[in-house]
Amino acid sequence: MAISDTGSRRMRRAAPRIPFGGWPEAGRATGRAAISAGWWCASLGLLVGFWELAWAVGWANPILLPPPHIFLADLTDQFRYFDPTGGRAGAMGEGGSVWSVLGVVGWTTMRVTVGLVLGFVLSLFVGVAIRYFDVVGKLTLPLVTILAPISPVAWIPVAVFLFGIGNAPAIFLVFVAIFFVMTLSTLTQIDQVPKEYIQLARTVGASKRQIYRHVILPAILPGLFVTLRMNLFAAWMVVLIAEAVGVGSGLGQVTMMARNTFNASLVFFTMTLIGLTGFLFDKAFGLIQRKVLWWVGPSNVGGL
Amino acid sequence: MTLGLSISNVSKTFSPAGREPVHALRDVSIEVALGEFVVLLGPSGCGKSTLLFMVAGLESTTGGAIAFDGLEVRAPGPERSLIFQEASLFPWLTVRENVGFGLSIRRVPPGERARRVDELLRRVGLAGAGDRHPSELSGGMRQRAALARALAMDPEVLLMDEPFAALDIQTRARMQDHLLEMWSSTRASVLLVTHSVEEALALADRIVVFTARPGRIKAEIPITAPRPRDPYAPEMVELAKHCSMLLREEVEKSFKEQELL
Ligand SMILES: Nc1ncnc2c1ncn2[C@@H]1O[C@H](COP(=O)(O)OP(=O)(O)OP(=O)(O)O)[C@@H](O)[C@H]1O
Ligand SMILES: [Mg+2]
Repeated sequence: MAISDTGSRRMRRAAPRIPFGGWPEAGRATGRAAISAGWWCASLGLLVGFWELAWAVGWANPILLPPPHIFLADLTDQFRYFDPTGGRAGAMGEGGSVWSVLGVVGWTTMRVTVGLVLGFVLSLFVGVAIRYFDVVGKLTLPLVTILAPISPVAWIPVAVFLFGIGNAPAIFLVFVAIFFVMTLSTLTQIDQVPKEYIQLARTVGASKRQIYRHVILPAILPGLFVTLRMNLFAAWMVVLIAEAVGVGSGLGQVTMMARNTFNASLVFFTMTLIGLTGFLFDKAFGLIQRKVLWWVGPSNVGGL
Repeated sequence: MTLGLSISNVSKTFSPAGREPVHALRDVSIEVALGEFVVLLGPSGCGKSTLLFMVAGLESTTGGAIAFDGLEVRAPGPERSLIFQEASLFPWLTVRENVGFGLSIRRVPPGERARRVDELLRRVGLAGAGDRHPSELSGGMRQRAALARALAMDPEVLLMDEPFAALDIQTRARMQDHLLEMWSSTRASVLLVTHSVEEALALADRIVVFTARPGRIKAEIPITAPRPRDPYAPEMVELAKHCSMLLREEVEKSFKEQELL
């Protein structure tokens, strides 16, 4: 994922080099956006083209690897596998419209978002507490360091023991996937706050609490957001796994059901949905980042 | 009791864990009278920044005492304002918020804070830039904002650690004039560190030349010529030669020491 992002950045930067002469000032941004979109289409077209070609010459079995024009053809037929109620296991009934598809996407997105927000807020809280209160640090840090390398997949049974099935275990797994990393990242960020900032606050008589609130917190937030964004895709992968094994609804469940029923078209349709949703999610995130935490400067923002 | 800043027999030894102790300063005594402009000149590594940080209350001394108006300095205080080499303005605050930072930490009510900040911005010539962020300012403007922030605390002594070192020569000269203007209107004392003999001569009432590490006072040179000073006037040229010679001796010494290491 990091690679694809670098790729798109390079494309954007490469855009002005295209020998088009100069656009008039106003049209330049639009022109650049159009060129960027063009490259996106070309990149996707490359994959679709190869796939369709493989199908046309008979390399790709249309049952197992149906090319886009096949798996997108009976879209409305696929819609009925999407049960938007979000709570039931092995469901296949209520669905049938675009809305039910959006409903399923919505449930998955909700789980990721809630898990991310919880993970972010709590890790910030714990990370700051570790540095602020000496005892908390000594008690918590070893635990965090030991738990951090455990893969979220290993937490699946724990999630199910603790929360049964439903939304809670999926949210919990997303939370676990980012919490420890983000806590450690919070510590690193705190330690890297330029010491001039802190000395400066001390010279005007700021207390420890004021230094944390007015200097350390704003200084670490942009870096934390970058870490959070790097872990977005991990969170997406985890939620899909959780839905596939323990939740019984959402995009992950649809993928698993499609696999179990050998519905290759549905598999690829769901994969397309996942890719698109993840992409939009990341874009939305980048937008928030730039609007709210602009002060790291453009070179760091979104530089995955 | 003496008024103003009194540094008496101050020494500082850093004892980093597992390494040789570093004797940064030894037996330094400087008196800075009210409203006096004192410039510290010395080779790199002789402890000038350390001395300034100790006066600011950010570092402890390992010998001797620092007192302000007869009271021993143990912690930072509003009567002593520090300005760093690189204006470390907070990038997430606007210029106005940066200048008012100390006031808001001290819980000055917003109305009064706004009034004082506006006044300060006007004085340092940044009236129009209050709502910009530090990244949108030039180096000189940033340093003026830092000056405004330091002045906001109504300090009685301004501590400046190579404040103009990162600026180009023209901006630097403008900033020196500007500082002199501010200084003469506040009559705060100034303790300023520099590497530049020209800067020292343009600004100081008194230049204190340091030896190579461990830093001691090598010479004190009072300058009585009225400001603005003509650097090409014969007596200024004489002083410049004298200071440069003193400094060069110490710089050579510190280089030799490094070669021996
Ligand atoms: N925290 C520290 N631990 C150990 N040694 C230190 C520490 N801070 C400073 N020193 C040492 O003390 C000496 C004096 O440092 P200081 O920064 O005061 O020098 P300076 O005169 O300001 O130099 P420059 O002109 O290069 O800024 C240096 O040799 C430095 O390596
Ligand atoms: Mg220094």
